Amino acid sequence: MKRLLRGIIRLVLMISGLLVTFNLPFIFGIGNDTIRISFQTFWQFFEVDVLNLLNLNDPNYFAFFKVLPIAETSQYTMTLLAGSLLVVIFLGMLAAVAVMTSPQKVRNRLKVGINFFEAVPDLLVIFLFQFFTIVLFKATGIRIFQLYGIFGAKPYFIPIVTVSFLPFFLLLQFLIKALTEEERRDYVSYLRAKGISRVRILFIHMFRNIFPLLFVQLRTTVWVILANIYLVEYIFNLNGFTNDLQKIIFHKGDVSSLIVCLLMLALPLLAIEAVGWLMIRQMKGREVGGL
Amino acid sequence: MRKYRKTLIGAAILLVIFLASCLYPIYGPADFHHMDFIEDKDGNILGRPPYPPSLSHIFGTSRNGEDMFLLLLYGAKFTLLIAFSTAVLRVLAGGLFGLFLALWAPFLTSFFKDFFLAFRYIPSILIAIILMAPIVGSFNDVPMFSLIFCQLMILVFLGFPSTVITTVDLTNELLQTSFIQSSFLMGASKLHVVKRQLLPYLRSYGLLLFVQQLLSTLQIIMHLGIFGYFLGGLNRAGIFGWDAPGGPVTPATKTYEWAGLIGQGFKDFTYAPWTVFAPVLGFFLVIAIVNMMKKEIEDNILGLGKWNMKKKSKMISAVSQGKVIVNKFELIQNKKGVKERSL
Repeated sequence: MKRLLRGIIRLVLMISGLLVTFNLPFIFGIGNDTIRISFQTFWQFFEVDVLNLLNLNDPNYFAFFKVLPIAETSQYTMTLLAGSLLVVIFLGMLAAVAVMTSPQKVRNRLKVGINFFEAVPDLLVIFLFQFFTIVLFKATGIRIFQLYGIFGAKPYFIPIVTVSFLPFFLLLQFLIKALTEEERRDYVSYLRAKGISRVRILFIHMFRNIFPLLFVQLRTTVWVILANIYLVEYIFNLNGFTNDLQKIIFHKGDVSSLIVCLLMLALPLLAIEAVGWLMIRQMKGREVGGL
Repeated sequence: MRKYRKTLIGAAILLVIFLASCLYPIYGPADFHHMDFIEDKDGNILGRPPYPPSLSHIFGTSRNGEDMFLLLLYGAKFTLLIAFSTAVLRVLAGGLFGLFLALWAPFLTSFFKDFFLAFRYIPSILIAIILMAPIVGSFNDVPMFSLIFCQLMILVFLGFPSTVITTVDLTNELLQTSFIQSSFLMGASKLHVVKRQLLPYLRSYGLLLFVQQLLSTLQIIMHLGIFGYFLGGLNRAGIFGWDAPGGPVTPATKTYEWAGLIGQGFKDFTYAPWTVFAPVLGFFLVIAIVNMMKKEIEDNILGLGKWNMKKKSKMISAVSQGKVIVNKFELIQNKKGVKERSL
């Protein structure tokens, strides 16, 4: 009973937090040439939203879903997300192995190079990719890569490359850091002393041991990819899910569709958190069992 | 202070940029070297803005014919000042509230997290857009500084939950340490613990948090520019479309702040990429400097233990000298052995 009550309180808090956040700018009432701070307008908007949420029989409920092709666009966006995530993980692992097996001097230099990308703003990367695609098009006259999503086109290659560029370096940086720390552990020197090759230690022992850490980091990766997808879809004019979201926000759509859309956007993050939680629990269980 | 050399140099560069930008009205041309159509003697039009980068205009000109470099110089003060004050306010507000939550109201922490759950799952740029839309979504005649104040509040609010939660986590971690536990046992008040024992730690962590928030603020300002939410509002005059005089106006920035420059040139990207690249590179420079500062502060915090260890090892060195010599001796012997074998 107590848990149920707590759950209800948490749910109410979450939803009210969302509504308060989204209605906050109405405290600053923008007139034609003045700003008036009024909590009344804010409260009015808040009440409207709450009523809108509670009134299940309203025909306006989910009104925007009937107009916008949510299923199609969200499928496209999720494909982009999954594609970028796979690319980032695969290439990140590959590059990490390459860096870790290279000699110490080369490794240090590579590390400096990788750290450099930490400071590169995502917009610069996006604009550079756009610029080079356009230059390529102008130089060759052939549309090698589809860039813009106009006329119902659904480009995959350039958006995925652009989106996964910075997250790749982020993950690589993390992997190298984690592996370097793992290298200092006793079991690694023990294995080395036994004469097991470095590659074997890396693949069979170290990678397996940093796996839980990697999963925690994946949440950040997905988060960065999501933010990047949002920008890329806007800049390349892609017909994706975030475009629909934009429409709902700008035309002051009903709160119910907005919340559901935001939930859909948060779904990948929730999924990865759930998997990570399950994995950590299983690992803990195994350790306890082993003891 | 030698520990913070890079940080000081970075801060000095940023300060120079800021001062140069503030003093611009004294030395710079008010019209930003405005250059309209280039005509020959007969009145034939040879060129029209935007002009590509050249010797007279290093970064080219904007669509209104203004020199991009001068625009960047003029607008830097708004970008830097807003980013800086946002970061300071975020750290102050978040830090104080976080301390309060961790020490005096721990039971509220989980509720706080639930209330601001949206910030953990929705990209902050999306929240920023939703919050900014009613304020700078369309043209209005609100005085620039009150508009900037509202935007500043929103920017501070965006980072508030994350700074609070970071502070709470950090404080909880520190509260577990034995020296704080024992001073509680000896009857120290919470305020005393904050003053004497937490503050020294929080000072360096606060600096780190500030630099992190500065980075995230710069990012979010930049992204907002792309979506057309400029700091300081939209200028009705707009970017003159020479091609379509009757068409809808592309809003320009009022302040010439960098994100606004990106936003106003963004629609002409294929046509005049330099109008976008110049401010983005400006952001890149600032972010790179701040990132360098962040790295050094992080290293200092992590290396703090090491630094103390060095001090200690000097004191102990007198005792452990014998051991060291033995080690060295062995090494030389080993080398000798190898050499002999190889001969």
